[in-house]
Amino acid sequence: MVSRSDVQAVLDRVRPFLVADGGDIELLSVTGNSATVRLTGACANCPSAHMTLHVGIEMALREEIPDFEVLRTAGDPS
Amino acid sequence: MSATDAPTMASLVVGRSARMRAVFEFLRVIGNSESTVLITGESGTGKEVTATLVHEQSRRRHRPFVAVSCALFSETLIESELFGHERGAFTGAIKDRPGRFEMADGGTIFLDDIDDVPLAMQVKLLRVLQNRTIERLGGVRPVPVNVRVIVGTKRDLKQLVTEGKFREDLYYRLNVLPVTLPPLRERPEDIPDLMEHFLSRYFRRRGEPVPAISESVKEAFSRYSWPGNVRELENACERMAQTCSCGTIRVGCVAASILFKAAAAPSVPLVPLSTAASAPPTAQEPEHGVTISLDDRLREIEARLISWALRSTNGNKSKAAALLGVKRSTLGDRINRCGLGASTSA
Repeated sequence: MVSRSDVQAVLDRVRPFLVADGGDIELLSVTGNSATVRLTGACANCPSAHMTLHVGIEMALREEIPDFEVLRTAGDPS
Repeated sequence: MSATDAPTMASLVVGRSARMRAVFEFLRVIGNSESTVLITGESGTGKEVTATLVHEQSRRRHRPFVAVSCALFSETLIESELFGHERGAFTGAIKDRPGRFEMADGGTIFLDDIDDVPLAMQVKLLRVLQNRTIERLGGVRPVPVNVRVIVGTKRDLKQLVTEGKFREDLYYRLNVLPVTLPPLRERPEDIPDLMEHFLSRYFRRRGEPVPAISESVKEAFSRYSWPGNVRELENACERMAQTCSCGTIRVGCVAASILFKAAAAPSVPLVPLSTAASAPPTAQEPEHGVTISLDDRLREIEARLISWALRSTNGNKSKAAALLGVKRSTLGDRINRCGLGASTSA
């Protein structure tokens, strides 16, 4: 089981950059070894931002938390 | 580099840092020289760009510029590649073929990755530089060549000489006009200019307006260490130019790996996390002409950041240590050193 605080700690490392850009990445839930996040702000509606952030953050989570499996983003970009 | 982007001092080498200005100044001074130039710089620092620039400034600019990477060829191929061969010199040599030196006649040859040239080949290179003649493989007569030589190396040749991996006589023959290109991490002040330069190039090519770059992206780019130097930055800008769809380059366009590494860089946090009790203090620049003690100022910043982290985590030292990217034990030592123990444990 992955702990919520471990996931949050990884997200917190990049959040300052997002916050400074008027956005954020919000941890909605951790279920089993997977987590769901939501992007907010200017980049939330950008398809490429979902791609870059999602893939990169998921990689970082897997690197930092050996058991981590899947990162999901809530609310598809419209 | 494509032939359509005619190199000029302004478009090729971007940078306002003192180190780059020194490089430009040196390049300007040696503009009319015919001497051998030795360019030392890590991968991606712009050795070939610099070599092109030296050529374009020289009297040879209307003659060929031939760039060869010596790392691309095996020991046997490199000789044929540089000096050419005569028909029948070896199996498969079905006709005469001039080498790169002959192709560069009247112009400039740029031998990159000279540090990868095997010792046996170094002797032959030395002879070419001394006599200004080459001999094709299988050829019998020396061919005179009028070529200005520029070499590039990612390793310190002097060091290789000490290790016995590079001939001392060749080193002295090459090290006439040395140019050292600093890695990007040693001149972070040039990063915003380079970003604008590359981004505007990509957008202008597409005939689109150049987007603004958010401060947060500039901050992330300035803190990242760029192990691949300007080439890596150029690629990151190309990627952002391809993916940006909203008219402003924002954090969402930046590869997360850059963000994570930038976040780990020792620097003052950009903004507080929304959970933080208050903003971390940022360093103020001293007034012009005022002398300061760097050590005192660094201790001051350290103390302020530690107390910010402790406040943000309600005094939880393990969480504060994680926030600052240091070990729990390290944080304890720093707290004591800064004299924060009494005020924050309460």
